Amino acid sequence: MALLDPITRRRFKRFCSIKRGYYSFLLLLGFIVFSCFAEIFVNSRAVVVVYKGDWYFPTYGAMKPGTAFGLDYGYETNYRELKAKFEMNKDTSEGWVLLPLIPYNPLENDLVEGIYPPSAPDFSRSHYLGTDNSGRDVAARLIYGFRICIFFALFYVLCNYTVGVSLGALMGYSGGRFDLIMQRLIEIWSNIPFLYVVMIVSSILAPNFFTLAIIMVVFGWMHMTWYMRTAVYKEKTRDYSVAARALGAKPQRVIFHHILPNAVSTIVAFVPFSIAGAIYSLTSLDYLGYGLSPPTPSWGELLAQGTGQLDKPWIVMSVVCALVLVLTLVTFFGEAIREAFDPRKHTVYE
Amino acid sequence: MVAAGALILGIGKSLIAAELPKDLKWLSNETDPIYSDASAQKGCEFTNFILSFPPTLRFVGPDANNGFRDAITNNFFGLVERHPNTLNIVGVLATDWAYGADKKSMYFKLRQGATWSDGKPITADDYTFVLDFMRSKNIRDPWYNDYYTKFFEKIVKYDDYTISIHATKALPDLDQSIAINPLPRHFFKGQVDKDFVAKMNWEIIPNSGPYILTEIDKGKSLTLTRKQKWWGENLRYFKNRFNVDKVTYKVVREMKIAWEYFLKGKFDDYPLTFPDFWHEKSKIKEFENGYIHKLWFYNDRPRSPVGLYMNMDDPLLSDINVRKGISYAINVDKVINTILRSDYERLPRYTTGFGPYDNKNLKPLPFDIKEAKKYFALAGFKDMGPNGILHRGDQPLSVSLTYSSEQHTPRLVIFKEEARKAGLELDLQILDGTMAFKKVREKKYQMAYWAWAGNRLIPSYWEDMHSKNAHIAQTNNINNIAIKKLDDLIDQYEMESDETVKIKLSQEINEIYHTQYAFVPLFHVPYFRTAYWRWWKLPAVPATKRSQELFNVFDSMMGGMFWFDQKAYNETHTAMKAGKKLPKVEATDKTFRDKASFM
Repeated sequence: MALLDPITRRRFKRFCSIKRGYYSFLLLLGFIVFSCFAEIFVNSRAVVVVYKGDWYFPTYGAMKPGTAFGLDYGYETNYRELKAKFEMNKDTSEGWVLLPLIPYNPLENDLVEGIYPPSAPDFSRSHYLGTDNSGRDVAARLIYGFRICIFFALFYVLCNYTVGVSLGALMGYSGGRFDLIMQRLIEIWSNIPFLYVVMIVSSILAPNFFTLAIIMVVFGWMHMTWYMRTAVYKEKTRDYSVAARALGAKPQRVIFHHILPNAVSTIVAFVPFSIAGAIYSLTSLDYLGYGLSPPTPSWGELLAQGTGQLDKPWIVMSVVCALVLVLTLVTFFGEAIREAFDPRKHTVYE
Repeated sequence: MVAAGALILGIGKSLIAAELPKDLKWLSNETDPIYSDASAQKGCEFTNFILSFPPTLRFVGPDANNGFRDAITNNFFGLVERHPNTLNIVGVLATDWAYGADKKSMYFKLRQGATWSDGKPITADDYTFVLDFMRSKNIRDPWYNDYYTKFFEKIVKYDDYTISIHATKALPDLDQSIAINPLPRHFFKGQVDKDFVAKMNWEIIPNSGPYILTEIDKGKSLTLTRKQKWWGENLRYFKNRFNVDKVTYKVVREMKIAWEYFLKGKFDDYPLTFPDFWHEKSKIKEFENGYIHKLWFYNDRPRSPVGLYMNMDDPLLSDINVRKGISYAINVDKVINTILRSDYERLPRYTTGFGPYDNKNLKPLPFDIKEAKKYFALAGFKDMGPNGILHRGDQPLSVSLTYSSEQHTPRLVIFKEEARKAGLELDLQILDGTMAFKKVREKKYQMAYWAWAGNRLIPSYWEDMHSKNAHIAQTNNINNIAIKKLDDLIDQYEMESDETVKIKLSQEINEIYHTQYAFVPLFHVPYFRTAYWRWWKLPAVPATKRSQELFNVFDSMMGGMFWFDQKAYNETHTAMKAGKKLPKVEATDKTFRDKASFM
């Protein structure tokens, strides 16, 4: 396995020794893991409700109507009100509620008559970063927006690389007429302005997570082909791949089992930057209103709201800080990876 | 030879036909109240902004429908207009008018002395030319081609100052459609050239209104100048109006930047209808010190039916119980009381603001979870799913809601969240404007946030509600409503010319439509709000019943009521330099509110 070979092991060691990149990676990983469990920390549903001696954990699973806790409505319980009610009637000790850190979900509108959204950060109402144009909690939208954004980026990059790497490798391996034709096709395809086309297509389709990613892949896979093509061209003339072919290995096997592991450094060094690019693209699309359809929590949409009203600085500040932080972390991580995978560090002249 | 024969025949025919009917009852109106102010003074320049430079100055043809078009077309006056407060007909380019016996035609005596801006008199030939012009393929405007071909039958000249105009169908407010604006035949030499579209892009066509375009700085600004010795200056309804000498429009690409310019005094007025501007952004020194005044003016005019339209051909929405449940599940009041700051009002029904034609007994359904659930249960949606959405077997109660403006997202997310409480899922779908329009007009939608623009005095229903327009693409019956009784009423309504009967029919039509619950009435804004520098003066009632803006400059009936006050200008500038406070002015005018026709 590629992971275990001494060169790879040395590369990882080198990566860990580049502290800035390494800690950035850990932090980023921490954020991603945290966002996966965001429902526990940022949610309108309580973490624990104890009502008449029974314990409830409403975070995951089916919604609990208000009637389940002795309230007079059949829709989903408002746990903040439930908590307030329990605290009001402390002496009857009906039970207690443990709310998450941020007791709002990213979609609900916390609207109080007389307070017009967007409202400034208010710790007493647990809006730590204030609310947006429709009274939704900015912090909650930021966190769920991050989850969508980062997984979108990962999914996008995965699809992009699968297509780009396979085609690039095939071009490099086959060479000749196939390579020539594909090169011209890619050149033509690359000249289609990416954002514009995605905007046009998504304004017609009203895309969801997967369709938007696919649309973006259709117009964005070209980039990786060039690097892979060159790398494979170089590798296929090496002795080991010639040997593999001589033993009768099929092109598929030669490309994916022999050449690809040796060209992996090219790919890996690009991944973090592609992720940053994907985050940037999604945010731009959302900013312009052509990304994921509302009310999906999104950084781009927050940014658009924020720049539309610079006199409500909490919106734009939150999202700009978050964006800068994440993109910086990804970039540090990327730099460290590139450094660690730089072949010049491992060349041994004999 | 044949052509020459036809020409002679044509002339012969028009000579024979051109005889006025004997029993015409000529009408005129020089007695309705005057709404301008006698103390108005002429002079000074009024500066405003436009968000983009017009792509052409032509008023027909490609790109003509741009934001600047009104400034051009409003200076082409018509034969007659409606008095903006009494809604009676008053003469503009005609002094007298009469109705034909067929109820499809009107006769006009033209105003002697009315001239084009180049000094040539406006005569009957300028009216007959309108049909040739608008029907010409060379203007490259299919809408006008079609309208002037289908609606108008002919225009007959009796002498230089008497004409009749014949339509193809009878309308109760016939004057609104038939009183055309003449075009200068002599300028076009009686024909529309093949290269009209290209040639007329930046040409200044002689007009009949009080102002004419004089300076064009391409990409930057446009200036109109008041005509000296304008023919209408001393007429009853034009006296003391159209006071400023020059009107300049400067291009500013963004509203935010225009606001800053306004505060610096570079522009004379700024719209404050948006809640944040009225309530917050105007809480600054220029307003507090009384240099800039604020006015909230209630008007009374037909309202656009803004609402959530449902497609009755959709399998789910074909059930009236589902539609009624949805109507109960839309929390309009919450949106109004929170993000709209109670500034908007709930639209009561489809037909609103048409006076007696409104059926005032019809009220919108309130937000009521219990009622909503009751009707959903009647439709079979009884089981509560794990996500709080009602189900009928495996089918969730989920409806897609199409809309096209980013600005409406905050309202719709509140509808969505509130509807969940009643077990209804609204799936918001924002589309590009053109796509949304296509989708709805092709009836391929479920629910849509939609509104029709309209400018008639009397409601019309055939296009919106008749079954002939249901189930087919590209018609305005987007509800796909098809009810035999409604059809009969609409057919009667269309043919009826007696007003009392027509009013009764209108009310019945509205009742049937309303109780189908395929339209959830949302909002209307029965006013406009404006900020303006204090040296601009207005009459005691600063605008008319039908006005939509305070500083309308050119409209023949509602425009040009303001004037510049040099004394107030000097006073303000002295105070601003000294940092002195002047009385703060924040006025609300409810003249037309208290007797508003929709209440």
